[in-house]
Amino acid sequence: MLSIKDLKASIEDGTQILKGINLEVKPGEVHAIMGPNGSGKSTLSKVIMGHPAYHVDGGSVELDGKNLLEMDINDRANSGLFISTQYPTEIPGVNNVEFLKMALNSKRAYLGLPEINDGDFKKLCEEKMQLLEMDARYRERGVNDGMSGGEKKRNEILQMAILDPKVSFLDETDSGLDIDALRIVANGINHIMSPEKAVILVTHYQRLLDYIKPTYVHVLRHGKIILSGGPELALKLEEQGYDWIEEK
Amino acid sequence: MDAVTRIKQLGMPRRNNELWTFFPVAKIPAIEYGSGDAATNTATDAATCDEDFSAETDFAALLPIAQNARPMVQNIADGTEEMAMLKCNNDFGHTVLNIGKSARASLEILDNKVQHPICAERFDINVDEGADVEIFFANPANDLPLTFRHFRITQAANSTVRFSAIERGNGITRVSIDALLNAPGAQFEARTLNMLGGTSESHHRLHIYHNAPETTSVQLSRNLLDGSSRASYDGSVIVGNGCTKAFSSQLVNTILLSEDSSVSVKPVLKIYHDDVECTHGNTVGELDAEQMFYLVSRGISEKNARKMLMNAFAFDTFAPLPEGPAKKRLLQELR
Repeated sequence: MLSIKDLKASIEDGTQILKGINLEVKPGEVHAIMGPNGSGKSTLSKVIMGHPAYHVDGGSVELDGKNLLEMDINDRANSGLFISTQYPTEIPGVNNVEFLKMALNSKRAYLGLPEINDGDFKKLCEEKMQLLEMDARYRERGVNDGMSGGEKKRNEILQMAILDPKVSFLDETDSGLDIDALRIVANGINHIMSPEKAVILVTHYQRLLDYIKPTYVHVLRHGKIILSGGPELALKLEEQGYDWIEEK
Repeated sequence: MDAVTRIKQLGMPRRNNELWTFFPVAKIPAIEYGSGDAATNTATDAATCDEDFSAETDFAALLPIAQNARPMVQNIADGTEEMAMLKCNNDFGHTVLNIGKSARASLEILDNKVQHPICAERFDINVDEGADVEIFFANPANDLPLTFRHFRITQAANSTVRFSAIERGNGITRVSIDALLNAPGAQFEARTLNMLGGTSESHHRLHIYHNAPETTSVQLSRNLLDGSSRASYDGSVIVGNGCTKAFSSQLVNTILLSEDSSVSVKPVLKIYHDDVECTHGNTVGELDAEQMFYLVSRGISEKNARKMLMNAFAFDTFAPLPEGPAKKRLLQELR
């Protein structure tokens, strides 16, 4: 499904942030990426999506055999990749629902499908908003505009639910969420997840993994995955931190 | 002093005249005064032409009068509500509007379609106590080469005037506004949006006079400039002595969509009293790169993402307007 091989990327001043990432994600899997601040976790999602602030120095990223790094950003998304950033961008004046509809229809056009009709879209929207316990105010607002941190994260998961991506890369989706919101968002992700899809979660804490059981846990440090293991690894990291891990 | 004498005294606009600093004055054709519409000497004409123009300094304010524009007078009675469309069918137009006490008026100005080298319109708008007036134009793209629109707005106590406009023509336009807030509680608001491309130009010159305490003025001007288009905003706020609690804000936001487009902004605050609040700001930039990334990372094409961001910027200009014909028309024009 998603295959990342020896991915290296740097920022404009030449500083290399990713120094050779290798990650294989198969359908039905949940991968948790943990690591200290500044290790490159957020950079990884942005580089995969093609953020212009990063330069790919080498390696490959394939989604179902297609080289994502050679595709336009919107085509990467329409091929089935979704990223949720740590600090979702606010876009005042762009209505949340109109944006969602435009995004969904862009994907449908890419897949050779006709535009969704208003009735079906409304129904889909209502169903997903109900799943995430979102009230009607979200419809009227600009994209993430004036929303609290938690509201933004919930709005991101709404986008994920509607766009139905193959692989979702969720960067610190649990930050800024209170206990109830964490449960709702995690339930939403579990509901969206299926044996054909995969999720990569970036998190600092075990608490999200109490709700979303990871298949694998990886430790990213200094731009490389230095350790991988099962769900028990997250518990050990929570107890002991990162200093015990020896880098190869 | 009549308009012809005064305009001859002033001479043609020059760049060293601060009212015309940003304007391409060389594009103004030679004008023979009195060559415009044939004047009809009605009682109203006589009354208007008797006005003393010796203090008028703006060429564009004088030109329609000097060209014998026939005044169209419209009176809106006290306490009534009226919607009107104003259209000038000649090169030079003069409209006088008298809005009665506590009246409510919504006035849309339609384009003059005369394809002559220059057209100029003047609007004298007198707003009585407690009246609420919206004046707007949302003209679709036109090819008028040179257009002047001058507004002289005089406001009495507790009156409100909202001026809103979208300009997206292919020629050169200049909008000048003198707003006189002459009594407490008078409020004036100007919201303008230029969406220009090619070689088109839009120049705005505002003088807002706070002549009484507790008067309010708000200016928001936004520009989306592509091609080698140009815009300028010359906004002056003059707060007189004794005008306690006057409030004024001015904000100009510009997005430059091309290398060759440009904007010039000149805020002027002349404040002759201490207990007032006056602000001004100006931003110039490109479309927000993070917002672009966000939209395309959801599968939206770059072209559509740009369009969405430009529309959002444009919509925001008029979103705070109260529901009514102006808001409906302006937002409709942007859809």
